[in-house]
Amino acid sequence: MTHIPRWILPAAISVTVPLPSYAEQYLTVSAAQKLCFPECDQFVPAHVKFTPAQIKAIEANSGQKQLLRGQEIWRAMQNGKLRGFFIVDYVIGKHLVIDYAVALSPEGTVKQIEILNYRESYGGEIRNPDWRKQFTGERPGSRFALNNGINNISGATLSCRHVTEGVRRVLTTYDACLK
Amino acid sequence: MTPVSNRVRRARPALGTFVEITARGDNEEKLHGAINRAFNAIARVERQMSFHHSDSDVSRINREAFERKVTVDPWTWRVLRAAQKLSHETNGIFDITVARRLMQWKYLPRRYANVSEGNWRDIILEKNYGVRFRQRVIVDLGGIAKGFAVDRAVKALKCAGVPSGVVNAGGDLRVFGLKSELVHLRHPAEPMRPAGAIALRERALATSGIYFAQKRHGRAVISSLLDGRTRRCSRKLVSVSVAAPVCMIADALTKIVFVLGEKSAPSLARYHADALLLERDGAPSWMFRSLCDTSDRTGFD
Repeated sequence: MTHIPRWILPAAISVTVPLPSYAEQYLTVSAAQKLCFPECDQFVPAHVKFTPAQIKAIEANSGQKQLLRGQEIWRAMQNGKLRGFFIVDYVIGKHLVIDYAVALSPEGTVKQIEILNYRESYGGEIRNPDWRKQFTGERPGSRFALNNGINNISGATLSCRHVTEGVRRVLTTYDACLK
Repeated sequence: MTPVSNRVRRARPALGTFVEITARGDNEEKLHGAINRAFNAIARVERQMSFHHSDSDVSRINREAFERKVTVDPWTWRVLRAAQKLSHETNGIFDITVARRLMQWKYLPRRYANVSEGNWRDIILEKNYGVRFRQRVIVDLGGIAKGFAVDRAVKALKCAGVPSGVVNAGGDLRVFGLKSELVHLRHPAEPMRPAGAIALRERALATSGIYFAQKRHGRAVISSLLDGRTRRCSRKLVSVSVAAPVCMIADALTKIVFVLGEKSAPSLARYHADALLLERDGAPSWMFRSLCDTSDRTGFD
């Protein structure tokens, strides 16, 4: 399941991965817009399709491959005045695509970053029977059933490097397309 | 009791990982405001305690505390004091000056030259949030500050009137309020799969595993989990999770358990903590169980 507009993505990412996955939708685009720019009353779409020259500039300045063909951008307006830009971007996390939003000031500094959709592929069920001993006191039908969805995960820290790099790329996109 | 009807969950990249905050309460707008404050608290911890930001407290003391007294944010000072206490109690197994070795092994960027061989005893904490080094050591709070950030975020949520929720900084998490939460643990051999789950209530859980952080250095396989006394990495265990009342302690204790194994029982007891080890095949074994029961079965109905 993906809400990514087709024209944004190259074929390589738009292929859906048929694996069991943990997906969390944190915020919709409009909810994130309101959180990033609470003072604004209007978000005017200003999406861009990159020209080959822009892609070249973004790749040269960010040192990253620009896999997207365009960028979804909104101008955040308050009483007709530009208060900043709201940009949706996509990166590959461990395996799957993460959608996130970057709020920029009109001058192009990062105000806020919010993850919109997070996805991880998981091999759903827990096979190890020893774990079930943990739940000997559990009643059938309890909402804590083991095969319920995953809500919280603990483990060695997963790096957010791809998002950090993505934000750097978005900043070069600002330089190339919005400045 | 406040009626709990809404759940708001948000995530941001912070502390080098994804920080996810879940807040429950009746007013969604208020929950968002509380979450903003919690993220601000985390941002403050990151700003002051990051090894990477050149104007953080940690970078300032690493540059200057050998030459002069450096005054730090009270939060940084608290984390340093907690780290010193743990170093003292474990006779240096927990030691934030292993940063030197982590830098040599490229787990940390090579930002300092001419670093001395010293240890935690070379750190002097003074009144009014002053820090001085006896030798030219460097520190990294990576093994403890993330847990502290989680605790500050929980505090911010509570102060904003949020009755229950979860703050999860890339696997170091704390559950607060009346509601019990099920937490899945990553499988050490296949981290993208859960090995199992435990229920937590009013408790923090941190996990250290070598599965994402292992790498080759010359002929040896190394990880970022070191014994502060020998500066060697401990690779006997695969994944250690520690449950404790606060996340800073849980975070730091995982490093101690990693080195000491079952000998860490007194440390765990002192902090009312317990530890869960995962074998390579995902089989769990409890090392020590404190009086505060981790799998809170009373919350199951």
